[in-house]
Amino acid sequence: MSTTTQTPAAQSSSLVQSYAFRTFAVVFAIAAPVIYTICEIGNLPLFTYHPGTNRVEFGFARSVRDQGPAMHWYGWTASTLLGSAILGLIAAKLPESLTRKIPLALVWIAPLAVIPVLIYALRFFWRW
Amino acid sequence: MGLVPDFILDYVNVTTYWTLLFTFHALLAVALLGALTHQAASVLMPMRQAAAAGGPSFTERFRAVHGPGYAAAVCVLWIVTFFFGAWIYTKYRMYVRIPIEQEGFWKTQGVFELKEHLASIGLGLLPVYWLFWKDARNPEYDSPRKWLTVTLAAFCWYIFLAGHIVNNVRGFGS
Repeated sequence: MSTTTQTPAAQSSSLVQSYAFRTFAVVFAIAAPVIYTICEIGNLPLFTYHPGTNRVEFGFARSVRDQGPAMHWYGWTASTLLGSAILGLIAAKLPESLTRKIPLALVWIAPLAVIPVLIYALRFFWRW
Repeated sequence: MGLVPDFILDYVNVTTYWTLLFTFHALLAVALLGALTHQAASVLMPMRQAAAAGGPSFTERFRAVHGPGYAAAVCVLWIVTFFFGAWIYTKYRMYVRIPIEQEGFWKTQGVFELKEHLASIGLGLLPVYWLFWKDARNPEYDSPRKWLTVTLAAFCWYIFLAGHIVNNVRGFGS
């Protein structure tokens, strides 16, 4: 049994050098904007929160009459983090020769690319 | 009244509780905005040579920050600010959004909706942002690190200003 312990700095350094973590982080960043947009447009929250009654329901739920609004944003965010993490973990298991082909530029292009789609999805609010 | 843990009400009243929470959220947002703006300036206009005689100017000092030193702080600030914002959102949804809609301020509400989208998407960018800055000597990361930092800074500015606009519509004391 090893008695050596890693300092936080050493753990951080090993994470930085890990190719599996790099793949996870890159895929997570590319997937998150795409999954979030799909969840928002498709109304696919992991859960729905009812702030009026402090109640949580699994999946999508409509607001209940006289019980206040239903909130889906928490659920969209949870769906996004879960979905992106699953895709990132799967990608981290793939061979390096394959994951090397993922363009790193997508980590900033993907979040910018979904903005027009999200603005369009909010068209209900752009009234004059 | 939004999500208020009962034990907190033993120490402060509801109004003070939301005021403190909102103030912490705003202060954290200012810190995050400052850190990301410094970092974005440092990657967009990097300092290439020593300052001329007379010392560096204000703008030179502004962009001469050590970027990697900000990465962990930005990640922590984004997450904590997000958490406080998500908490306040329970109050907002009940007591701010409904009057905004009743007054017909649809565009203001739309601006806020986009703010929440960008905050969540920004959360998903943090692991790779941290990695790119912590491995700052890797030349492969130079370009994506630069544009990812600028993207996060732009998101942060939008999120900050949208929150400010909504607060102007129906903020403290309304």
